[in-house]
Amino acid sequence: MPDFTLTSAPPLAGYDKSFADLRLTSPADLALVSLALPLGGEDAAQKAIKSAYGAALPVPGKSVSAKDGARLVRLGLDAGMVIFTHATPDAERVVAARLGGAVYTTDQTDVWTGLELSGPTARAALERICPLDLHDSAFAVNDAARTAMEHLGVLIIRTGQDSFLLLSASSSAGSFLHAVETSIENTI
Amino acid sequence: MTQQYRIKGGGQIDRSTDIAFTFNGKAMKGHPGDTLASALLANGQRLVGRSFKYHRPRGILTAGSEEPNALVQLRSGAHQEPNTRATTVELFEGLAATSQNHRGSLEFDLMAATDLLSPFLAAGFYYKTFMWPRAFWEKLYEPVIRASAGLGRLSMQEDPDRYDKGFVHCDLLVIGAGPAGLAAALAAGRAGARVILADEDFTPGGRLNAETLSIDDMPGADWATQAVAQLTAMDNVRLMIRSTVYGAYDHGVYGLLERCTDHLPDPGGKPRQILWRVYSRRAVLAAGSTERPIAFGNNDRPGIMLAGAMRTYVNRFAVAPGQRIAVFTNNDDGWRTAADLSAAGIDVPAVIDSRDALPPIDLPGIRHVRGAGVVDTVGRKGVRSITLTDGQMIPVDGLAVSGGWNPNVHLTCHQRGRPAWRDDINAFVPGGTLPPGMAVAGAANGALTLAAALAEGRATANAQIKELGFKPSRAAAPRAEDEPRESAPFWYVRESTKRAWLDQQNDVTVKDVKLSYQEGFRAVEHLKRYTTLGMATDQGKTANIPALAIMAECTGKTIPETGTTIFRPPYTPVPMGALAGRARGRDFRPFRLTPSHDWAKANGATFVEAGNWLRAQWYARPGEQGWRDSVDREVLMTRKSVGICDVTTLGKIDIQGRDAGAFLNKVYCNGFATLAVGKVRYGLMLREDGIAYDDGTTARLADNHYVMTTTTANAVLVFRRLEFARQCLWPDMDVHLISTTDGWAQFAVAGPNARALLRKVVDSDHDISNAAFPFMGCAEITVCGGTPARLFRISFSGELAFEIAVPARFGHSMMDVLMEAGREFDAVPYGTEALGVMRIEKGHAAGNELNGQTTAHNLGMGRMVSQKKDCIGNVLSQRPEMIRDDAVKLVGLRPVNRADKLIAGSHFINRGDDATMDNDQGWMTSVAYSPSLGHSIGLGFVKSGDTRQGEIIRAVNPLKTGEIEVEIVSAHFIDPEGERLRA
Repeated sequence: MPDFTLTSAPPLAGYDKSFADLRLTSPADLALVSLALPLGGEDAAQKAIKSAYGAALPVPGKSVSAKDGARLVRLGLDAGMVIFTHATPDAERVVAARLGGAVYTTDQTDVWTGLELSGPTARAALERICPLDLHDSAFAVNDAARTAMEHLGVLIIRTGQDSFLLLSASSSAGSFLHAVETSIENTI
Repeated sequence: MTQQYRIKGGGQIDRSTDIAFTFNGKAMKGHPGDTLASALLANGQRLVGRSFKYHRPRGILTAGSEEPNALVQLRSGAHQEPNTRATTVELFEGLAATSQNHRGSLEFDLMAATDLLSPFLAAGFYYKTFMWPRAFWEKLYEPVIRASAGLGRLSMQEDPDRYDKGFVHCDLLVIGAGPAGLAAALAAGRAGARVILADEDFTPGGRLNAETLSIDDMPGADWATQAVAQLTAMDNVRLMIRSTVYGAYDHGVYGLLERCTDHLPDPGGKPRQILWRVYSRRAVLAAGSTERPIAFGNNDRPGIMLAGAMRTYVNRFAVAPGQRIAVFTNNDDGWRTAADLSAAGIDVPAVIDSRDALPPIDLPGIRHVRGAGVVDTVGRKGVRSITLTDGQMIPVDGLAVSGGWNPNVHLTCHQRGRPAWRDDINAFVPGGTLPPGMAVAGAANGALTLAAALAEGRATANAQIKELGFKPSRAAAPRAEDEPRESAPFWYVRESTKRAWLDQQNDVTVKDVKLSYQEGFRAVEHLKRYTTLGMATDQGKTANIPALAIMAECTGKTIPETGTTIFRPPYTPVPMGALAGRARGRDFRPFRLTPSHDWAKANGATFVEAGNWLRAQWYARPGEQGWRDSVDREVLMTRKSVGICDVTTLGKIDIQGRDAGAFLNKVYCNGFATLAVGKVRYGLMLREDGIAYDDGTTARLADNHYVMTTTTANAVLVFRRLEFARQCLWPDMDVHLISTTDGWAQFAVAGPNARALLRKVVDSDHDISNAAFPFMGCAEITVCGGTPARLFRISFSGELAFEIAVPARFGHSMMDVLMEAGREFDAVPYGTEALGVMRIEKGHAAGNELNGQTTAHNLGMGRMVSQKKDCIGNVLSQRPEMIRDDAVKLVGLRPVNRADKLIAGSHFINRGDDATMDNDQGWMTSVAYSPSLGHSIGLGFVKSGDTRQGEIIRAVNPLKTGEIEVEIVSAHFIDPEGERLRA
């Protein structure tokens, strides 16, 4: 029995707030593991991903849902991310084990903080901070993009017609939450 | 007062509702749909302000954003906003406006005496008069002049309103919702394009609201209402009213200011204005045109107004600007004003036309004075009569003036396009190169008549969206007629001997322009600066063209040869608050917090900004008298037992790939090829030119897996540089990078008891003894019963030290655990100040030493730069000047008199030499009070410093303490042999 135990306290844990027809939540136990496709080993890597998740990485800027509910996001030619629900601090080992060494993996869970914004006016709220065009014709469901909001780097994924997952650096989670909340308050 | 100038019936106002407002404290009433200007006129208030320089009584000249005169202070207290154009302010309940620029009352301005001095105050007066003595300008002349001239006043309080920014995207941006803009938006909207239609007014329709023209057999204003309803029903069209497109920027980006709550008594906690960035694929500029005045003697009296504005007040606002109004025009359009005034029951005693020609429209009962002009007017606070060139005097209480119409070309010039002159309309139209993606339609393009504007709006939009692949709709252009539009190039009445005003906002007269010519300021840009023409908040929208026509006449050149000044954004003023948006106070930029931030806050920490990070600078304890007490204690306790510092902010870059080791060997100047798994190495990066760039440690966790640390400040820059190297310099390497800075909470545990403390935390199956885990070792371990962690045996303090990292979510808890486990050792948390003191005591270089000017050679690390391999910077680092023997070298310094305090930034001078730059021996980079040694110590660069140990030189600081004597010593004040960190 160790003398000491550590307790987990992600920056926005438990955040869940409704504003008129909008809901902003910090998804619980959101785990992120980056995937890097080895140079020359892309095909083998994609094969391993497909066999583990039932889907290969889509083209850059897109994401797909895997059979187990994980989301595979392609961020670049050789870069992707798997996003899934996992509570313990071993997300990278879990993913690495499934991919059998065909992909370089790095745990990104604690690097990021996540906010899910959903509701009919989500786009109007995001218009105040997100420079990207989020219109259906430009940013469809499952599309993903890197951008910056209020000077903070953000990975935005359209998870549904009216819902967006926003990922930003965990160290600035408070500022990021403030930026998103302000956008909502300014538009509702 | 009871709106005695309100016309019975008509107008786009809601007569069923009264709006109460005040002007200079006087209670008045208006209706929804009024502007402040129309409501003032309805109440018979024609005098609304005093002019900038001469304090002349001024009224309302226009009915739009081009207004030079009717500037008021709006609202009160901290909400007070100066220089608001009454012509654009939408009336709201409780509005409080005050006039500007007078001492005493508006009616009896004490400063009006300056008008009597006007013969002495011509353009250039200040430049010529207040030249001597030179020192008086700043302290005496300027404050006095500024106090007597000028516009409104700021509240001097913080702006309590909220502002926001936003981003919108469209296929087609239509700028202006007049006839051309509405036709353009309808065409593009029907074709399915994503359209943004923006208009500065609160009622779309532009001049359709102000005139009596018909479209599709209905009144123009009704057609506009119908068009707006159609557009509103289209999902693909976004109508933005109260929204000014103020700038055309690169790549189809436009700046747009939306005034969201300015028309409300209270913004209700919502942003007052939003500064939008519009990303458009194409744009149609349908900004309309602006009427220009004709200059003649005393043409600035209240009651003298642009003819189109008169028409607007009568038709849109149902306000009579006077009861007896003459019209002075050089074009057909002025006659339409006469017709509209007459139709509204206003007595029009005469239409004075500069042209000796038959009337373009038949106006029975109105006298036509052919080939004549107005030379003078009478009536100090409101025009009472006008005198014509033939000497006859006509009693009036209003004069409508039309000098023709200028297309609003401004946005076409924001990327250096120059407008082109058209003789047929006597005006500049868009010319040369337009901003990419922009096309111009309607009056803004010189299509000054209604049918032409509607057709051009539709056709231009169709052409624009066709380029984007949309199929234009077959709907025909709205039907309308073209009104008569002949005009004459007539700019001012030569016969006038009185002052004839061009720029009413800056009090520039025809004579001033002529003086400018006479004194050699003949280029338009010189004319502008010499006379201040067009430099005020209206940017000369009504004044510039007549003025440069006069300059053209003086120089004998044509108007196009004379040219215009450059139009720059913003088209109309943009409040600073809107430009700032949310970025105010604490929201100026985001903060990054370390995982132990809350712990530090609860434990007396003072924070310092390091980039966006807030880091604990020191932890004050009760009884400590100042920061030095805290820092000294933290240093001494760490060196005596153990201290803990949150070092999460250091950049962490995860590097993986078959070529990761080879990659590191190329980006660091020292060798990394031989780094074994489980080991850490210090690395120094150079810039391409051989200057030191950044340093840090890199740990090898597995064969193809490394973790690099960078300095806090350079974390992002180093990452970007590595990405560049990976993607562009060596794309054939299998290397992958990802930042993990925020992912790991990392703590330095330093001091003789560091290992003993960590043994209580690290799970017992990991041996961290000196033998098993020596200096510069690293390992992936577990702590506190299985939590994954990383342990590095590195030391910045010079003590036996480790850095332990856990997933960031455990960071706060880890700080608790470390402090709890360290209780038996009297462990202390230490901040960046103690960290800095200890690194100076140890002689470690940091940002002050790696300042972008120094080399590895200067830092005493010249031998680290491997010449056996190819790496960034090693070739150019060997340039002769950079490896001179007498180059400055990093050394330690201590005061000869130990009680002296060293000061960073001091320069070194040899004993006996003059303190001049020629004798400069180097400079002090970092200083600290060393509690371990009991005196001030410093690091610095001294010429050939490595060979001068023991020598005494002077540290000179003329800005602070003068100079003191210092001794050159080893930079390693503490444990120079490194026994402690290897213990």
